[in-house]
Amino acid sequence: MKTIPPQCPEPEVGPKYWRSLDQVAETPEFREWAEKEFPAGASELTDPVTRRNFVKLMSASFLLAGFGLSGCRRPVEKIVPFGRQPENYIHGKPVYYATAMPTKGGAVPLLVRSHDGRPTKAEGNSGHPDSNGSTDVYAQAALLNLYDPDRSMRSWKREGSGMSAVTAGAVTDALAGISREAAANGGAGLALLLERNTSPSRARLLAELTKKFPSAGVYVYEPVDPYVHVAGATAAFGKPVAPYFTLSSAKAIAAFDADFLGAEENAHVNIRGFAKGRKVDKSSDVMNRLYVVEGAMTVTGTNADHRLRLAPSRIIGALARLGSEVAKLTGSSDIFSSLVSSFPGSNKVGEGTAESWVTTCAADLVANKGMSLVLVGYQQPVVAHVMANAINVALGNVGSTVAYLPALPAEGSIGDLIGKLTAGSVSSLVILGGNPAYNAPVDLDFATAAKKAKNIVRLGYHEDETSALATWHLNQAHFLESWGDARTSDGTLVPVQPLIEPLFNGLTELEVIARIGGFSSVRAYDVVRETFSQQFGGIAQLDADEVWKQFLHDGYLPKSAAKPVVVSLVSGLALAHTAPAAPSKDKLEVVFARDYSLDDGRYNNNGWLQEMPDPVSKIVWENVIAVSATTAKELGLEITKLSSQRIRNGDSLGKALKSNESLVGNDEVTIKVNGREVTGPVWIQPGLADNVVVVALGYGREVTGRVGRKSGFNAYKIRTSSSPYFASGATLTPTGKMLNLATTQEHGSMEGRPIVREATLENWKKKADFATNMDLEAHFPGVVGTYEVKTIGRVENRPKGIYEHPYETYGTNVNSGLGPRADRRQILKSEVHQWGMVIDLNSCVGCSACVVACQSENNVPIVGKDQVLKGREMHWLRIDRYYAGSVEDPQVASQPMMCLHCENAPCESVCPVNATVHDEEGLNVMAYNRCIGTRYCSNNCPYKARRFNFFDYNKRENDYAEVKTTKRGSTSWVTTDAGLYKGIAGVDKNSSAEWEIIKLGKNPNVSVRMRGVMEKCTFCVQRIEEAKINQKVKAGASSNVQVPEGTFTTACAQACPAEAVEFGNLLDPNSRVAKLRASQRNYEVLGFLETRPRVTYLARIRNPNPKMPDAYELAFTMKEYTDAGKGNPLESHHGAHGAAEHGSEAHGAAEKKGAH
Amino acid sequence: MASEAVISNGLPKIQAPPAEIEREPLVHNNRSLAWITEQVASVAEGKTPKWWWPAFIVSFSGMLMMFTMIAYLISTGVGVWGLNQPSAWAWDITNFVFWIGIGHAGTLISAVLFLLRQKWRTSINRAAEAMTIFAVVCAGIFPVVHTGRVWFATLPGYLIPFPNSNGIWPQFRSPLLWDVFAVSTYATVSTLFWYTGLVPDLAVMRDRAKTKLRKFCYGLFALGWSGSNRNWSNYEKAYLILAGLSTPLVLSVHSIVSFDFAVSQLPGWHATIFPPYFVAGAIFSGFGMVLSLMLPLRSLCKLEDLITVRHVELMCKVLLATGSIVGYAYIMEFFIAWYGGNPYELDVFIKNRAADPWIFGPMFKVDPAPYWWAYWAMMSCNVIIPHLFWFKKVRTNMWIVWVLAALVNVGMWFERFNIIVTSLHRDFLPSNWGMFSPTWVDILTFAGSFALFMTLFLLFMKFLPVIAISEVKGVTPQADPHHPLGGARGGHH
Repeated sequence: MKTIPPQCPEPEVGPKYWRSLDQVAETPEFREWAEKEFPAGASELTDPVTRRNFVKLMSASFLLAGFGLSGCRRPVEKIVPFGRQPENYIHGKPVYYATAMPTKGGAVPLLVRSHDGRPTKAEGNSGHPDSNGSTDVYAQAALLNLYDPDRSMRSWKREGSGMSAVTAGAVTDALAGISREAAANGGAGLALLLERNTSPSRARLLAELTKKFPSAGVYVYEPVDPYVHVAGATAAFGKPVAPYFTLSSAKAIAAFDADFLGAEENAHVNIRGFAKGRKVDKSSDVMNRLYVVEGAMTVTGTNADHRLRLAPSRIIGALARLGSEVAKLTGSSDIFSSLVSSFPGSNKVGEGTAESWVTTCAADLVANKGMSLVLVGYQQPVVAHVMANAINVALGNVGSTVAYLPALPAEGSIGDLIGKLTAGSVSSLVILGGNPAYNAPVDLDFATAAKKAKNIVRLGYHEDETSALATWHLNQAHFLESWGDARTSDGTLVPVQPLIEPLFNGLTELEVIARIGGFSSVRAYDVVRETFSQQFGGIAQLDADEVWKQFLHDGYLPKSAAKPVVVSLVSGLALAHTAPAAPSKDKLEVVFARDYSLDDGRYNNNGWLQEMPDPVSKIVWENVIAVSATTAKELGLEITKLSSQRIRNGDSLGKALKSNESLVGNDEVTIKVNGREVTGPVWIQPGLADNVVVVALGYGREVTGRVGRKSGFNAYKIRTSSSPYFASGATLTPTGKMLNLATTQEHGSMEGRPIVREATLENWKKKADFATNMDLEAHFPGVVGTYEVKTIGRVENRPKGIYEHPYETYGTNVNSGLGPRADRRQILKSEVHQWGMVIDLNSCVGCSACVVACQSENNVPIVGKDQVLKGREMHWLRIDRYYAGSVEDPQVASQPMMCLHCENAPCESVCPVNATVHDEEGLNVMAYNRCIGTRYCSNNCPYKARRFNFFDYNKRENDYAEVKTTKRGSTSWVTTDAGLYKGIAGVDKNSSAEWEIIKLGKNPNVSVRMRGVMEKCTFCVQRIEEAKINQKVKAGASSNVQVPEGTFTTACAQACPAEAVEFGNLLDPNSRVAKLRASQRNYEVLGFLETRPRVTYLARIRNPNPKMPDAYELAFTMKEYTDAGKGNPLESHHGAHGAAEHGSEAHGAAEKKGAH
Repeated sequence: MASEAVISNGLPKIQAPPAEIEREPLVHNNRSLAWITEQVASVAEGKTPKWWWPAFIVSFSGMLMMFTMIAYLISTGVGVWGLNQPSAWAWDITNFVFWIGIGHAGTLISAVLFLLRQKWRTSINRAAEAMTIFAVVCAGIFPVVHTGRVWFATLPGYLIPFPNSNGIWPQFRSPLLWDVFAVSTYATVSTLFWYTGLVPDLAVMRDRAKTKLRKFCYGLFALGWSGSNRNWSNYEKAYLILAGLSTPLVLSVHSIVSFDFAVSQLPGWHATIFPPYFVAGAIFSGFGMVLSLMLPLRSLCKLEDLITVRHVELMCKVLLATGSIVGYAYIMEFFIAWYGGNPYELDVFIKNRAADPWIFGPMFKVDPAPYWWAYWAMMSCNVIIPHLFWFKKVRTNMWIVWVLAALVNVGMWFERFNIIVTSLHRDFLPSNWGMFSPTWVDILTFAGSFALFMTLFLLFMKFLPVIAISEVKGVTPQADPHHPLGGARGGHH
């Protein structure tokens, strides 16, 4: 997939791709002159109300440029033709560049696809040794930010009450002014507020800057800060080190409030490691075991084998108790006992069996000494991290599951900065990125303090709350427009390489720091190059340019991973902690969580992320006030009344809550904590600790783009510096109002149906083929008898249908995952490729990266909250989440679901116009041009995998979050088309100019569907075709046209950090997918319907510890299935047959006809 | 009554047959043939009754509202209706099947009863056939406008097989395509049949016309009818052939409509009992609608002597019979869902439909079904209510009959709603489950379809004889040469 290294460095002139104005206008002086010549046009730019958007700006400016440069008044075309065809460039053929998305605690190495110079899709860089191709949702969605029509498109300066746009030259001058001032007084009065990142170049520049201006202050603020891991390790070991976890080698993992598969930094790397430990081919394989102690219901919690609900403030006590137990069992010194006893009341961990839960868990960890891991999350204080490190040392995990890498010492905190600001000792405050005016702890009152600075320079991607304070707003470049560098969590150096010239002349952080520092090289490229040659140039023997080119090509520097530091615990480690009182119904504990969609709010204006269902609650477009069912009942939230519309569908409160159906119209409540309050909709979340209220950060923005406007409430309003992640003593009172909550899945229970099939490891040992021994296919008589199908490694009986199966004839010879091949006459239309997919439910953690990847790859539109409320989300790939067991302690299972490409597709025969048909390679394809939109196919799809364009979603307005309703819960009677494009009867409010920028991000190989058309997963047919063409070119005259395994994959499979999605050619016996289809765990969802899906699933295996107090014999979903009287899949044959012999025809005939 | 009839036409008194062998006459009060012509024709010819104009204005405005809704739907998107995933069909197809069902009574009365020589059909067949055609018009609108891209749906080559250079044909396996053929055939044959029956009466209207325009118009459509033997002979043949053609259509149309559901694999749809049960249901609803229209018509247009209580009673008996078939089908469907041993199927019947909060929900130990009220509305209207027609008192009280007939239509609408929405809203995977609620556009479009129906019916009343004059005359005693009143002694035109 990779192409030759790009030419480096970028040439100064000679436009290659789509270019910005700067290059046409050449010099800042010219542009300044041009704008002064036309003051009327320039003043338009400063008007905040009628902010002119991209193309208007561009065309106007081009006109000016044309006037100035050539005196020609002809309208300038936007297309810049190639004067000379660049080498290796074929129009329409995408090229891939390696780059990386910098994150707070690392970076996501990426390969970004570029179509004619515009990035269209981010993929994980599979070459990178640590992440090998995995990405997270943010990396998948970051592309949309690049083409955000609401992003900051200009730099401006505050003048009086208004803002006036400034040129790049003026910005340079202003930064030079700050630099001169700092040079004059050694940096006194200069303060830089940064976001956390791992760029070596930034670190180098800051070091040089502080050396040059010793009095200048450098501060870092992250609302959700992963640095506590470093702080904890540093405190434990006495030197600055960062823990680095290798989950793939851990056999027993205990996560204490550590959402390492979800909200923690580098979750995508963790998921890959964790999933590796859960990939089991046969029941004798060793599988890891996950213990989770947490207050909220996190992605990690949904994957736990054992889960203990505990308020976050009590978790440190449980951790200490675990520590004492580990110390006792391993004979290491017990530094935790005193801490345990310091907890008020007793040293009891919690209610009921919690105590024995923790001690049994400790025993299991000790039993897996050296292969266990204790993790503590960012929410917990430093002392908890110190404890976790000490426990890992005691368990002998250092060097195997956890390594300590060198880290940088901490910079100043925002608290320090506020102190200096309040003291009046800051004259120039430079805020690079971030949005402290919105997300700084509310008690610090950042806005008031910041105003004391004479000059506030702000580099921002959006014009947001912080820009509102700034005297200078500089528009920031997207990472796909900038040069930079970063280190991934293992320390490997990765480049941040631009794929496109900055669309709006944005600046990078490196440039701004370099200019303030007054350094000789100020271009970001030069800075990065310099850092590279200084710090990494000596790594290879080759000449520096070659190394650099190779580095950019590969997207990482081989062997640059940080060397682990040898550590030993600080002797005489003294731990002290003041435990707050346990929460009660009058003194609730509020947990502030990083949002799975919006992070800390930085992705607020990203429609893909706003509409990505929360992996646990499946809520979109807003945050909620989540409480447990017990707490809700105790607080007297009138759930039955509140949900009158839905509860009457359910029986008892508990069941209704579990299915979440009661929550369509929701009570609005006010949370009051520390004298501050915030209001939002309540949500009853199964699995939450009692007396705990969980609120996600990042919503309720006041100054933001049109996408994020009106989504959710601002939880930062009650978040103080003393209790950043959980606060005690909160009260919750209903306001009496009702709010609409949009969720993509209303029903959370599987109702005893074997949709997700689960067993424990012990069950699997007992019955190897439990997965196919469920549902009606367990007694398959078929309409006209059965026949035997041999697939690799197994034989199964399939019913013969009345009609011949389109992809096979009845026979017994086999050599592929598809069944009998030798007997196939010319029925299999292609003997080269037959595509299939296998999804391993044991690996899938539900992170949703695939959902966004699919949306990005396939131009799936955003529909908006009002449409989700009506049940019209468009995601081709969804992740179904099911709860089983009690509403308090449920087990959760996630299942990616999309078009399963059935061989006997029920959708195809009912479409009256032949718009959905099968192709030769087993794909169920949609001919959009042919579709008239009867929706019959959707009705007949048992998986409801099809999506209908009820409106022209691509043309809708951007105010997606707004629901124009007047009555709660009444999604039905409200205006149905608020904000939607009304066709000829209305005005297309998406001005064409805005559409110009939005459409840049579309994948040109996939149609953008209009309204009235049905769509669904295509197995990324555009990728299949591309791979086939490439292979044909390669094959030349030979007949070797079969695409080799591993050449390409679908967007979802590519993005999956767990490698849970496997796509490939079933006719290739060596393909992973053919082998997985032969797995004992392989099953078809609703297999009894004989739809013969090409997407099959591998049953999920849970690994409970039988000694645990909450041990279970059957996975809860399997228990529901057996309790529903549908037989026992662990017995040879269930139902009336009991121990009847296997596979006999006689029994099959006696069986009731199941399928139809 | 007939035996004591006072013969007032001045002819010699003739002994009437004994009362015990006498059937109740189809035309009461021994009306003369002239009276029949006069009475029926005057509805279309005479002064427009006072009630007609308000009725027409309301209907006509309602019809315009419907077209406005459809324009809005087509210009903006199908999303203006409450449809969603999983309920990709709801009121649209409910209304389609509802109207198609209503359209069944006309053909049944005109064709099947004609072949079976049920003479009582004559005074209701004209209006019933008109009703059929208008119902099919209403029905035809919904499947067309419910498509996402109407502009393609109506192009030849998409739904209508049309040889084209791409060699793409419609999908002949799809029941929706069968619908296209079945409904269009039905509409064509019904219209021809209706028109053929109208010809002699159009000639009557032509002959009675007092203005040139009326004479021209009726004359045009009367096709030069002269009442000659040759005319009559050809007419009778054509009518018989069309009756023969129409009869299988009564069975086929609704069978095919039922295939929309039966051919799919959705629990609640996938049932072999659907074709006969849909046909019975269609006749049931059609007779319900005939009664709903005829009762006001006979009273407002003073046609009590032609549409007699006996007619009403007979129709009530048809309702009772078809209602019982429908009720049997409901119960059998339920039984098969259990007996078939498919838990997904049974869940639809119990958890999606039958489980009400008080009796069946607790009995089956399941949550009340979200749409239990719709299911029980259907059950009460279609299964319980028709059994009131066992009582003669009920059958002969026009007010009660009208209310019950209207309820039958309510029940039959709910039947289709139940089949479509309660099956779809909770199907195989619980993650797909969701509720359907209509929007105001749904409601106004449906209401508008009634207005369209009424508009057409009022225009029909205004311009055409609502009762088949010639056929009614044919069943009067005067038309029977062996009857004491018949033959030469009979009345005159």
